[in-house]
Amino acid sequence: MTAPDLRSWFEAYLAAFNRADFPGFGAYYADDVVFHGRAAQLVGRQAVLDFYRVVRTYLDERVELLRFVGAPAGDRLAAELRTTLIAQRDWPDMPTGPMRAGDRRESTAIIFYDIGNGVFTRIRSARVSPNPEART
Amino acid sequence: MTPEARFRAYMHAFNHSDWDALRSHYAPDIRLVIGNGTELIGREAIVDFYSKVKQQTQRTIEIVQCFADGNILAAELESEFLALEDVPDFAVRPMARGDRYYINSFVLYEFEQNQYTSIRAAVFRRLFRPIAAP
Repeated sequence: MTAPDLRSWFEAYLAAFNRADFPGFGAYYADDVVFHGRAAQLVGRQAVLDFYRVVRTYLDERVELLRFVGAPAGDRLAAELRTTLIAQRDWPDMPTGPMRAGDRRESTAIIFYDIGNGVFTRIRSARVSPNPEART
Repeated sequence: MTPEARFRAYMHAFNHSDWDALRSHYAPDIRLVIGNGTELIGREAIVDFYSKVKQQTQRTIEIVQCFADGNILAAELESEFLALEDVPDFAVRPMARGDRYYINSFVLYEFEQNQYTSIRAAVFRRLFRPIAAP
């Protein structure tokens, strides 16, 4: 894939994710994808989908693409994503911190995706820390 | 020069504390967000910050990977800080002389022509190695 193709391919992934289209975004994961998320460390497409199925029972999750960098060879991409979580019900054991129904949480991360045979083989997410001077 | 080659030259300048060369890579009003969220604005603020860090610690950055697309370059970096003195107010965490701190970070560099205008860093992995175990 060229860089523009890679971007549109990736945007389609995000769109599928945002509409909770599990077959749609699940098709982007290799069978043995390695997933280093902020809320979970997982191996395998099924494990990732199982994780997000649980998440979606508690939260509305939307991601927004802020910056995109596609490797010329089409084998990697990096993206800065803003994630917005809105709790649909209480989740006291939420991995990144408890949420109550109606809570809204926003965060930004830089994520590296390794690609092989047209699917993600590894996904690694690093949170962009909020400005400490802006903290209340 | 490709963005990747320019980035390698930038990192070479950083690792050799070549501040004049480093300044030349920054736009005057550059904004840099480091891994702990602190934002530095302007090339002098960045050079002041890093020159202080380099007085307190020995730091070398290695490029794990980098690639550019349009006017953005993405880089994965590995750094290790070795404290040269006790640094209770170090930017990352308090460190005692001899302590080591490793970070694996993801960074996005936006550029115009030959200068970086925005740098945003996020830490993927961090490992503190105290000189003496508690």
